[in-house]
Amino acid sequence: MTSLKELQARFQAGIMTGDDAALNDINDSATESRETLFGVYRHAYGARLVEVLSNDYELTHTYLGDDAFADLARAYIAAHPSDKRNARWFGRYLPEFLRTTAPFSAHKEVAELATLEKALADAFDGPDATPVSMEELAAIPPEDWANLVFTAHPTAIRLRFKTNAADIWMALNDEKTPPAPAQLPEPQTVLVWRQDLTSRFRLLDPEEAMMWAEATRGARFGVLCEMVATFAGAQEAELRAATYLKTWLDTGSLSCVSPDCAQSHLVMGTAH
Amino acid sequence: MKPCCAPLEIALSDNKPPYLGFGLGLRPEHYDEILSGNPNVDWFEVISENYMIPGGKPLRVLDEIRERYPIVMHGVSLSIASTSPLDLDYLTELKRLADRVNPKWISDHLCWTGVHGVNLHDLLPIPYTKEALDHVVDRVARVQDFLGRRLTLENVSSYVTFAESEMSEWEFVSELATRADCWLLFDVNNVYVSAHNHGFSTRDFLHGVPRDRIVQFHLAGHSHEGDHIVDTHDHPVCDEVWDFYRETVSHFGPVSTMIERDDNIPPLAEVIAELDTARKIAQDVAQAKQVIAAE
Repeated sequence: MTSLKELQARFQAGIMTGDDAALNDINDSATESRETLFGVYRHAYGARLVEVLSNDYELTHTYLGDDAFADLARAYIAAHPSDKRNARWFGRYLPEFLRTTAPFSAHKEVAELATLEKALADAFDGPDATPVSMEELAAIPPEDWANLVFTAHPTAIRLRFKTNAADIWMALNDEKTPPAPAQLPEPQTVLVWRQDLTSRFRLLDPEEAMMWAEATRGARFGVLCEMVATFAGAQEAELRAATYLKTWLDTGSLSCVSPDCAQSHLVMGTAH
Repeated sequence: MKPCCAPLEIALSDNKPPYLGFGLGLRPEHYDEILSGNPNVDWFEVISENYMIPGGKPLRVLDEIRERYPIVMHGVSLSIASTSPLDLDYLTELKRLADRVNPKWISDHLCWTGVHGVNLHDLLPIPYTKEALDHVVDRVARVQDFLGRRLTLENVSSYVTFAESEMSEWEFVSELATRADCWLLFDVNNVYVSAHNHGFSTRDFLHGVPRDRIVQFHLAGHSHEGDHIVDTHDHPVCDEVWDFYRETVSHFGPVSTMIERDDNIPPLAEVIAELDTARKIAQDVAQAKQVIAAE
């Protein structure tokens, strides 16, 4: 008699690699061969994981089309067998896989499109935190403003794209024909976060992107105003900084604004 | 008796979970209708893993629904029969969710989902051997200790049988429930599917498992693939499964019943209509028994 441990190892290998040793452990039924019956498990394994990836990367699937996405999914499943109990996390390496694995890596917009989809999905069920409101900011005495520090909402992540992946996402999401892939003259900063229950993203201009990066690294508001002045001129620098801050509050992107906030633990993600 | 199989040291309630009536699997497609309409559903079963996440809408919705309806947690990746070590991270998350949801019970499947750190995300069959029985009894006892409550285990649909099996599935299930002191979820469709695939009698299974351990029924649809049936949960419950459900209710009496639909998810009203069929069958069976008793 074979041990349960060995039997399970053979069964799993039979599903994942096509090894037929497991067939010796099982019976033909009255009407079906053991190959056919074991084939139910073999088929279900690939089909289920492809479905998980397709659900998690719906627009990447649309962009690539069924055949190319199926090729991608098969390659990914072989490279990254699921190592988590929850299928929610199975596809977490797909953007990096696309970025680093030929032939997919030749199409850089695909990795960035997948990066954006993953960031939106992660924001959707990421940690809860109450966003700071304008009213709360208004209640802070003006003399304390220079010392204010900021904590990003825990779902917020800043991405930097070298392609027009964000435009491709928007077109696909509107069920329109996406633009042709293109390299951008300058990298584009995309902020992804969850506002109430909805995942969102928006494009930051270079000055706001700089201020967000510094703010979520722990720079105080007085320092941020100086940085903004250095970045694009002293005229109305405080007004520009205050306008960015108002946008962050209006969009629910901050979970703490006070002289004593903890620094954000997760502020940067890059698609390279 | 091995130390692992001694009676639990923690105080488990001896009370069998309550009869909840007729429930549905909670699916995101139906969130808005449920929250706005308070449909005539007695309780909801949630897939545990779908809510083992940090936060956001799924947990917010679940919090609202649990204020209105009893909730049962149903997992798909406990992998109770795996020969790999128990996944303590998974169990910790499961317990955390249970603390939040306060479910009437927690169920998963009598199966394994992977070994060697891999999860195949499928409900894989086990050989019905004494070795496997000892192994699963030990694991159930340890999981129950960890969760501080009895586990409910469901019979799965299977497509293969093992050459070395030493007993029937229902003998295995019965021994397990008794020795591990756990509850059973009797999946009516899965018994039908496995009976068809392996050529056993649904009645043998029905009469072979202990009535006092059954706390829940599952109903679902399936798909015919050549000469075998695959448990796809993408169709309405078929007539043959309704017939077996009638026989099952007649044998076991009232047991909390729910309908699972995981693919091709129809409008909520359609699944509720199916649930009404289950109610009607259970009422008919109860009335017929009353008539017989009166006579």
